[in-house]
Amino acid sequence: MALLRRRSRIPKSVPGGEAPVRAATADVAGDPHEVATVHTEFFLPSAEGNEREVMERVAAAVASLGLSPARLERLKTAVAEAAMNAIEHGNGGNAALPVGVRVESTSRMVTVRITDQGGGTPIPRVEIPDIEAKLAGEQKPRGWGLFLIAKMVDEMRTHTDGSHHVIELVMNRGESW
Amino acid sequence: MVNAFDASARIEGPTTVIDLIGLLDRTAETRLNEVFGAALDGRGGPIVFNFGGVEYINSTGIALVVGVLARARTTGRPVRAYGLTDHYREIFTITRLSEFMRIFDNESAAVAG
Repeated sequence: MALLRRRSRIPKSVPGGEAPVRAATADVAGDPHEVATVHTEFFLPSAEGNEREVMERVAAAVASLGLSPARLERLKTAVAEAAMNAIEHGNGGNAALPVGVRVESTSRMVTVRITDQGGGTPIPRVEIPDIEAKLAGEQKPRGWGLFLIAKMVDEMRTHTDGSHHVIELVMNRGESW
Repeated sequence: MVNAFDASARIEGPTTVIDLIGLLDRTAETRLNEVFGAALDGRGGPIVFNFGGVEYINSTGIALVVGVLARARTTGRPVRAYGLTDHYREIFTITRLSEFMRIFDNESAAVAG
């Protein structure tokens, strides 16, 4: 089944085992000839609260990759939100279904891939939440997750193959904002 | 160590300060709404959220803050905040929460308004 790839960028004004570190061919954006380093790969049950463990394990995996403290915090928030989406929406909170996490890096970027089993429904497009409507009671207060993810990272890519969702979170190395 | 959520209210000058601790996520909903509701029903004046003890805020926590802010707006009570880390101040800016809830550097400034 064809992969549907979508890249989202909005203005900035915007089950568990672990694999050893190894090299991998870089199917990440940038130099297609550069070999990416896999820093960790693991699976966790889709249980409420496990997004925080995903966040902490990713943070540990990227600790030596030179992200500034502020950018690390942004990545952690994005990872936690993406993992929570995978747990709650992709896998329906079914602890029997795993959330997959893979952290890779090249000289230019860090990429975190989060995978769930909910590929039958598309990942919604990122929309800017209307806080005024929410404060006026015209909309439910929720709906901030995808927006936060997109605003926290340099690039967010989503893929679906009909049975899985993959969210890729990309942080460029060497940036200071 | 990450703590479960709790909230408590106290009177400081003309304001009611609500101290928040722990995880501001889905598990915070009942207690936050309970304490905030009591504050709304109590004496008037601004309500000040102290985020100094909050270790983690996710999108559900943001939604909870939006929800209580919406309740406050129906009463005309201003809501202020302090104790946010730089990261969460950025998130409050990105979400535009900071346009509807003034953010201060410390409690004395938040109470003075």
